[in-house]
Amino acid sequence: MKKSGWGVWIVLVAAFLMLAPSGRAVAAEPIVIGCPLPTAFLYGWDAERGVRLAVDEINAQGGVDVGGEKRMLKVELIDTRDLEPGVPVSEALLAVEKLILEKKADFIVGGPVRSEAALAAMPLLSKHKKVSIVTSGVLSPKYHAMVAQDYDKYKYCFRIHGEAKQLVTEIMDCLEHIKATFGLNNLFIMVQDVAHARAAGKILGDIALKKGWTVSGTEIFPTGTGDFSMGLIKAQKAGAQVLSLWMDMPESSILLKQWYDMQLPALPFGSTLAAAEQPGFWKATEGKGAYCLANVVNAGNAPSNATPWTMKFYDAYTEKWGIEPEGLGSSSSYMAIYTLKDAIERAGTLESDAVITALEQTDLMGVYGRLRFDPKSHQVIPSYDPQEGAVGSIFQWQDGKRVVVFPESIAMGKIILPPWMKMKQ
Amino acid sequence: MDIFIYGIFNSISLALMALGFALVYGISRVPNFAHGALYVVTGFLTWGFLRTLHLNYFLSILLAMFITGIVGALIYQLILVRVRGMAISEIIASYAMGLAIIEGFRWWGFKGMTYTLPVFVEGSVTIAGIPIDWQRILVVAVGAAVVGFLWLFTHYTKVGLALRGMAQDERASLMLGIDSDRMAVVAMSFGAMLAGLAAIMLLPLGNIVVEKGYDVLILAIAVCIVGGLGSWMGAVVASFLIGFAQILTVVYLGAHFQMVVALLAIIVTLVLRPSGLFGRQKELEERV
Repeated sequence: MKKSGWGVWIVLVAAFLMLAPSGRAVAAEPIVIGCPLPTAFLYGWDAERGVRLAVDEINAQGGVDVGGEKRMLKVELIDTRDLEPGVPVSEALLAVEKLILEKKADFIVGGPVRSEAALAAMPLLSKHKKVSIVTSGVLSPKYHAMVAQDYDKYKYCFRIHGEAKQLVTEIMDCLEHIKATFGLNNLFIMVQDVAHARAAGKILGDIALKKGWTVSGTEIFPTGTGDFSMGLIKAQKAGAQVLSLWMDMPESSILLKQWYDMQLPALPFGSTLAAAEQPGFWKATEGKGAYCLANVVNAGNAPSNATPWTMKFYDAYTEKWGIEPEGLGSSSSYMAIYTLKDAIERAGTLESDAVITALEQTDLMGVYGRLRFDPKSHQVIPSYDPQEGAVGSIFQWQDGKRVVVFPESIAMGKIILPPWMKMKQ
Repeated sequence: MDIFIYGIFNSISLALMALGFALVYGISRVPNFAHGALYVVTGFLTWGFLRTLHLNYFLSILLAMFITGIVGALIYQLILVRVRGMAISEIIASYAMGLAIIEGFRWWGFKGMTYTLPVFVEGSVTIAGIPIDWQRILVVAVGAAVVGFLWLFTHYTKVGLALRGMAQDERASLMLGIDSDRMAVVAMSFGAMLAGLAAIMLLPLGNIVVEKGYDVLILAIAVCIVGGLGSWMGAVVASFLIGFAQILTVVYLGAHFQMVVALLAIIVTLVLRPSGLFGRQKELEERV
């Protein structure tokens, strides 16, 4: 055969090989979940673990049905560092923008976690028309207030966990229960110098006064404080019987150690008390965190039977990560993925406006109760009854275990006082 | 009385944190911005020996301090000696090392509040109606002992006298046969171990977090600037000034102004008396 004949055959064969179908179906593009989270802090890694658990479970079942096509979920995570002292908001915003522009995130789930950073990210999400569900931190009531005030601009933003006003309501109701049970009525407030804690501390103080409590003082501590002795001495001199603590910094464990060593006759009651939320807290404080109450925002972050799904999630998380759920972002981050899946499947598309409408119509029985969003503010609707809304959870450290003590609908035990308080009563 | 008791504790804590930094600068004129990182290194090393290798607590402490001393010496010998005399480069190089160590720990997974060290003595005592735990009393005792030891060391031992000579006049010391680089390595190692000692005494009161490295550095710098760079006695006096100022601020203004005190002290000192209370850097004053 002539050379030119061989050349033609070679070209034809090469063309065939390049253009022929591979014999395998081309996999559908995954749905990218962008997670801007402060991974060096509890409220970051707990959210990441909740997200990844849900994603793995959903992918194991075949993924999300988007208009008849099954698509897997893929997590893209960037460390925002927004829980570090000094709150570098710009870093958090860069992380969100990178997730949207470089990682091509279809949805943003998780953070930013610090309220200041999350509020600053709202216009960015609006600019890029990205649906976002915050699941950890971001307790400031301003978040959902901004959505309600300017719905058209901020409709992309949702929050699936409790916020400061609701937490204050729960804490106040629990305090009333403590007053009725033990006769305590002197409250000393100790907060971290960050937006959500300052606001919540002030609101709690105002409400407590109206309900007949003596608010004997308020101390504000900068993030990273390593010594709380003067604040505790002030509380002691003021006759404090309950210490209301709003601190997400790890140094709050120092406060509890100092409280225990001083045998201050006041019951510590924390909210977003990150140190006390973790199962490792007992060992870390060598048991000096005993009797501390902590509000973990939503059920599922401490063991209870709020719904049939609660302990299934709890056990699955423990098995996957080798540790029980810790921190307020665990169950909410897990449910955010399932809620998003549910909304996408009802919408039949990933298009933002359709998913927003579907999210607003969510009615899902989840880990911490019935999940519905307020259609105007996009805040999850709370309730003390898991059949009606998202249930909070307050536990107390008792004998090395986190025992849920409030609300009564899901309580697994009762509140007890430290022995030195009983002696003084 | 609570102001006096906790003021003393706060002051001694600051002195413990700052003495290592003051020593290194006083002798070698090298500002060791890795000082805070060395504090954290000792903490994590002790934790590692104690909790994972299950060594005896005191053995863990000794090993951790020894290794920190070696790390300090290596930082000087491998990095700082090459930029000695170039002030900005010294700061950048030592700060970069500190940053690498601290962020290295964070990247390695040392985050959260679960890293703790046990106190040496459990329980508390009431003094004039004020509860104070035994560990804090021990901090005051050890801090006072360290200051006393440093004085004795630098006045009655050959190495200590050589270090003092270097601090007073390096060229004269060289003429007398004292090797300045070797003494700088000794100072750096000693300073690192002092940072480690501060960590051993103070970390059992809370937990070991990497961010503490930055806090310790800022506080050490504040104390040394107020006291006068290069003056160890100045560092002690400044610790008490800042220590009590912080406690008074917490009592009368609020806890959230506590850190402002240290930073404000730096600014006020640099404006009014740049060489610090006991500093001998006349050229800095004349320039300002």
